Amino acid sequence: MRVISACREHPGQTAVMLLISIFLLAFLVIPVVQVVFVAFMDATTGEFTLLNFKDFFSTALFRESFWNSLYVGAMSVLVASVFSMPLAYFTSRFEFRGAIIIQSLGIIPLIMPPFVGAVAMLMLFGRNGSVNLLLDQWFGFTIPFMEGLNGVIFVQSVHYFPFILINLSAALQNIDRAMEESAQNLGCSGLRLFRRIVLPLAMPGYMAGASLVFLKVFDDLGTPLLLNVNNMLAPQAYLRIASIGIKDPMGYVISVILVVIALSSMWLAMLALRGKEYATVQKGGGGLAKRRMRPWEKVFAWIVVIAIMSLVLAPHFGLTLLSFGTIWSFSVVPDALTLDHFVAIFAETPEYMTNTVLYSFLAGLIDVILGTAIAYIVLRTKLIGRQWLDYTAMAAVAIPGLVIGIGYLRTFFGYQVPWLENQSFATWWVAIVIALSIRRLPYALRACTAALQQVSASLEESAENLGANKLSTVRKIVVPLMAGGILAGFVTSFATAAVELGMTLMLVSKNSDGPLSYGIYVYMQSAAGRGPGAALGIVAVLVVGICTLLSHVFIERRQRKYAMGQTD
Amino acid sequence: MNKTEHDTATTSAVGVSLEGIDLSFGKTHVLKGIDLQIEPGEFFAFLGPSGCGKTTLLRLIAGFESAQAGRVIIGDQEVSHLPPWRRKLGMVFQSYALWPHMTVRKNVAFGLEERRVPRNEVKERVEKALNLVGLLDLARRRPSQLSGGQQQRVALARTIVIEPQVLLLDEPLSNLDAKLRVQMRRELRQLQRKLSVTTIFVTHDQEEANSTADRIAVINDGVVQQIGTPMELYDRPANLFVANFLGVANVVEGSMTEENGKVMFHSSDGAVVVSVTEGNQGPGSIVFRPQNLKILSQDAKPESGTMQLSGTVEHREFLGGVVRYQVAVGGHFILVDAPHQRGETAMSEGTPMTFCLNSDQIIGLTQ
Repeated sequence: MRVISACREHPGQTAVMLLISIFLLAFLVIPVVQVVFVAFMDATTGEFTLLNFKDFFSTALFRESFWNSLYVGAMSVLVASVFSMPLAYFTSRFEFRGAIIIQSLGIIPLIMPPFVGAVAMLMLFGRNGSVNLLLDQWFGFTIPFMEGLNGVIFVQSVHYFPFILINLSAALQNIDRAMEESAQNLGCSGLRLFRRIVLPLAMPGYMAGASLVFLKVFDDLGTPLLLNVNNMLAPQAYLRIASIGIKDPMGYVISVILVVIALSSMWLAMLALRGKEYATVQKGGGGLAKRRMRPWEKVFAWIVVIAIMSLVLAPHFGLTLLSFGTIWSFSVVPDALTLDHFVAIFAETPEYMTNTVLYSFLAGLIDVILGTAIAYIVLRTKLIGRQWLDYTAMAAVAIPGLVIGIGYLRTFFGYQVPWLENQSFATWWVAIVIALSIRRLPYALRACTAALQQVSASLEESAENLGANKLSTVRKIVVPLMAGGILAGFVTSFATAAVELGMTLMLVSKNSDGPLSYGIYVYMQSAAGRGPGAALGIVAVLVVGICTLLSHVFIERRQRKYAMGQTD
Repeated sequence: MNKTEHDTATTSAVGVSLEGIDLSFGKTHVLKGIDLQIEPGEFFAFLGPSGCGKTTLLRLIAGFESAQAGRVIIGDQEVSHLPPWRRKLGMVFQSYALWPHMTVRKNVAFGLEERRVPRNEVKERVEKALNLVGLLDLARRRPSQLSGGQQQRVALARTIVIEPQVLLLDEPLSNLDAKLRVQMRRELRQLQRKLSVTTIFVTHDQEEANSTADRIAVINDGVVQQIGTPMELYDRPANLFVANFLGVANVVEGSMTEENGKVMFHSSDGAVVVSVTEGNQGPGSIVFRPQNLKILSQDAKPESGTMQLSGTVEHREFLGGVVRYQVAVGGHFILVDAPHQRGETAMSEGTPMTFCLNSDQIIGLTQ
């Protein structure tokens, strides 16, 4: 009775919710379910079977890939932790000038996805890369940074350690000074204090970052492909589908395994945190008490920071050299510098850039519209099932791009776009835009939800009280106040969509439809294409970096302008 | 605008009646059969402890909550099913809810713009409202650039500018510091007199309610405990909750019996026996205020018409104007307030004390 009356009372809200549900069902739920379905289906009879999984685990190559993926994921978390811990400790515990450098440079790797810098890292740290050439010349030995799985672990951890750093520093900053002081008051100090009080309190932040790193690394397709490491799960799935076709069940089996592992790593992280309420900042509380460093501590800290920061900048530095260099082979630096590669990409393949801007803009737009609507429905209406809308949209976080790509091929390949001849919907550029928007929706949704949560409900109620109806309230009060969050959501979606590779590789059917990430991959396949590929990479980094910077400035300014103590 | 809106407000002040309001959030029964009648032009307060349902009741009148049963009538129109934006009520929120992205002027003009009031009239009325709260100079500021008291005034101006039929105030003073609170509650009262607008004021502070409201409804646990003027509630509380919530009260439990046409109260341990002017036979209690007790010298004779008790000082607190003694009388602890004179020393703990109370100061409550 009440369900029906609730729908009848708010026909507008109900209609919006229905539309969003249909969109999510068609473009997220059905493709993913389809993938799972095929993995458990006998290819010839169409019956339920576990045979595909048995085949998978009885093939030596797949078994090896499975363990390799787990190993690379775990090792990347470990190495990323080694990078992050000292940096987080320095910034939170000491009055340290390097803190600003750590905070600002720490963001840089996130601007560029790992596969873009992978080849550049090969040039710097590979067997015949700059570093090993110098080591060999001076000391007569080399270090296998980039050999096989090492290379993947190295590149991934350099790129993803900021996830741990940011979460860990935030957690350390949120620890009430009184927590530490009361422990000191009771006789605990130094490393013991850090181990017994500070670290346990910061654990939720660390776990959040670590599980994110594991997830990203485990699902990543681009980096192993570009480093030519094929004995891992994601590359295997791609290669099976690309070489044998969408009928081959192994691609689906691997997809299911990727999703299951991703979900369980998130679940484990949640389990580790369950029942631990760690928001400890009380009124008047601040972060950890900071003290000045002694001179020798300062020297040590700077050495560590500079070492890590030069690793952080290595892919960017390498990429820049690669994009401006003529020939770079068996030498420390390229032979000469040139602008030819940039000329080449703008003259020969401008569509990579125009496509990227078009796709990412549309995907970002879809995301903020959906994100705002879902956030509003979840937080401000009483519609039945509104939580499920949120859960479904967020579930996309756990689905690797590769899996979405495979799901779209399987689900939509048979559908023709009515007004285009011989154009399957699955390989139409619009499908890429929709897939991008689905995949980036969680980021935009979180940004919109956070923004709406900060708008006190009484701000809306007072507008309604003064005579504004729901639509007018949303337009004049809610959306303007959410603008910062909506913009942040748009930029995140736009920037990350611009460099999505796993899914794009599956869905792009011809080069003229490809975005930047696809272009970089195509170029980087050949030694001659490395220069233009790197130039494309630089363009991508610049686009993403500038967008992020601008939105950051805009949001900061707004926050300063509106800052006021809204109590509830 | 020749005829000021104050005059029109006087003539058009409306009453509010609530009939059989019942409201639950899930399994929590928040409002249980509320019946209330608020007269036109009245300053009416909902008083109760936090969680008693008073804010929910106010939000229900404003249209932000909907009741499972009952009717809300404003003037002679039932509004139970009208959305908030069609109820013509002005509400001032506890957090003020000023929109941070608009200037003070924009905030105040919002309600008029929503009502499609012509532009020049908007300007005129906004200025008038801001003038009324003394903030015309700050019209270009943003809310974040104002102090707490100024924000409060903007919230008021934003509400009264639309000339609401009823003004709803949700703990509007709770975010101000103590001194400003006293000043603002006077201003609020004066403004309400000037506008003669029916006003409902929600608060948990009895002093605030007593000093501003014409009448108060004391609410506890979703039920209206008593309605009356502040003095009625203090002098003639209907039950123990009201007696205790308004001021400090001594409560002695026991039973009432009728003897020789007089109602006598016996405390359960027999230590206190006194005749009371109100009350019926059966279990009951008496309530009396600490300041009505008078300390006597040790050997004083009992006076007629008074109740005389003796005990030992257990504890004392110096409150400035008075010294509050906790005196053990039999098994009871009675609070006795003695006005403090300069240079006087307080009685120390453990000393015996005799005190008396006029019978007409005793409130008899039958259960």
